[in-house]
Amino acid sequence: MRKITYKIERFDGVNNFVQEYSFPYQPGKTILWGLITIKDSLDPTLAFTAACRSAVCGACAVRVNGQAVLACETPLDAILERFGDTLTIAPIQNFKVIRDLVVDWEPQAARLAEAKTWLQPRDEFDARKGCRQTAADFKKINTQAACILCGSCASECSKLSANDQDFLEPFTYSKVWKFVADTRDKSAAERIQAIQDKGLWKCMHCAECITKCPKGLAPGEDIARLRQLSIKMGYTGNPGARHALSFVKDIEDTGRLNEAKLQVRTIGLISSIAKFPMALRLLRRGKLNPFHFPGKVKGHEQIQAILKAVRESEK
Amino acid sequence: MRYAFFPGCVLEGAAKENYIATTAVAKALGIELVEIPGWTCCGASHVQDVNDLAATAINARNIALAEQMGLPLLTVCNTCTLMLRKAKTKLDNGQKDQVNGILAKAGIKYEGTSEITHLLWVLIRDYGLNKLQGLIKRPLIGLKVAGYYGCHILRPPAVMDFEDHANPQSLENLIRAIGAKPVDFAAKLKCCGFHATYTAEPDVIRITGETNQSAAEAGADCIVTPCPLCQMSLDMNQTEGQTAVGCKQEMPVLHLAQLVGLALGLSPEELGINMLIAGRELIKARIS
Repeated sequence: MRKITYKIERFDGVNNFVQEYSFPYQPGKTILWGLITIKDSLDPTLAFTAACRSAVCGACAVRVNGQAVLACETPLDAILERFGDTLTIAPIQNFKVIRDLVVDWEPQAARLAEAKTWLQPRDEFDARKGCRQTAADFKKINTQAACILCGSCASECSKLSANDQDFLEPFTYSKVWKFVADTRDKSAAERIQAIQDKGLWKCMHCAECITKCPKGLAPGEDIARLRQLSIKMGYTGNPGARHALSFVKDIEDTGRLNEAKLQVRTIGLISSIAKFPMALRLLRRGKLNPFHFPGKVKGHEQIQAILKAVRESEK
Repeated sequence: MRYAFFPGCVLEGAAKENYIATTAVAKALGIELVEIPGWTCCGASHVQDVNDLAATAINARNIALAEQMGLPLLTVCNTCTLMLRKAKTKLDNGQKDQVNGILAKAGIKYEGTSEITHLLWVLIRDYGLNKLQGLIKRPLIGLKVAGYYGCHILRPPAVMDFEDHANPQSLENLIRAIGAKPVDFAAKLKCCGFHATYTAEPDVIRITGETNQSAAEAGADCIVTPCPLCQMSLDMNQTEGQTAVGCKQEMPVLHLAQLVGLALGLSPEELGINMLIAGRELIKARIS
């Protein structure tokens, strides 16, 4: 008889250990079915969270062979086809583990609350009249409103894994954007100002959040939207904004990137000189040519016409 | 086989050894790369942070130039591939008329006739690993290679749909085809942090150190990557990365074309191996 094996990364409050459970295969089941089978028939001490079984409550996110998924909506057959009949199941990353697959959401909830991710209604609304918007206006934030706070994006976020002290969970940026773009909210400017010091330019563009979200959100793209608006509002005196603007300028000036100028424009001349040992390493291997100034590309006038037309179309 | 070649800015600058290796390998394989006249920077995953429409429009022009040549567009950089494919996905799913309105001001038009592909995909899907195997002159028997994919050749899967993003096998299959041995290592699908080099530098240095350490602990002789930005991040930061994670093992990080070129019998000089920062001598000693 075909057997499935879950190697589960467990934690009893003191010790971490891996425990293997094997149970008979059944077709058409989910990752969560396997966890429930283990708890019901093999080991009642296994701890995990799951409630709705319909990909709505967000409680059952776990890592399967290093990939965060919602256990309840992930077909077991597809995962077995991908990885074989032995799977490693672990709690989602970047959260404190309470026990086995159960993680503590309290610190993340506090960080979310710091970002004031609730509606701050415009002054024309009141409790009696309500707080309405058109269907078309809601459609603009419909995708972001679908977040179920499962934590999958946070689990796989490369920046958060590297250091969570100067960066927020990806879902928080999506929520901030949702309220910035919400026609009923009055605090867009304050929200953009507040996000400047919350890691806005530290996202590594790894696209893990976009890949892992079970509800089709793209937190990485919401971060780009927050960045666009913050540049429009004049927050350009930081390395992240200067770096992005530098690419646009090079494309407009010549069509291609000028690496030597890029660094000076991004972090300034003094910091660039401080990076001299690294530059020297590149120079010595012939990888950096400070005298390389790319000329204008063929058809450069097309680029200028395109960028001009883009600006005019957005007036 | 002919492709409209999109080298990308980094091949004109800090990764010119990848330009050297790519053209040498293409020649050896009989793949004709015709550089697109007037190509521009793809936006490097930064331009959309200023203006999304501008990012789409400049890449619509890049793709339109390949269309005028009547050829599929080939890149050798993960981020270029993603930026071009992202633009194409948007154009082919509703934004074509709007962007063609903008391109009309420059006298060009996006049709949607050229595919966007990457050298790794071309070697596997168009050229074929069997045919490649037949041309191997220096089988890299016993060389243990850690295949490091880099984010933008896999993610997001809605745009980069060549293979399973969670369990890709193309690099492993290629490594086997040239006689070497693929090494499974924990950091295989990790991010190198390149795009946050200026804004999260200590994090970037540490994660590159962790990746090189992960490959070393798995017994790899070298890393190979299809992305010149990953290559730069893992190679350029190696001294600082070693200090950050306390791993002293030097780890050569090869461009995809360099590894294939070695197996095709090309010399390290013909492949720009001398321009690597870490592990040049290790690689040369290994193949001599």
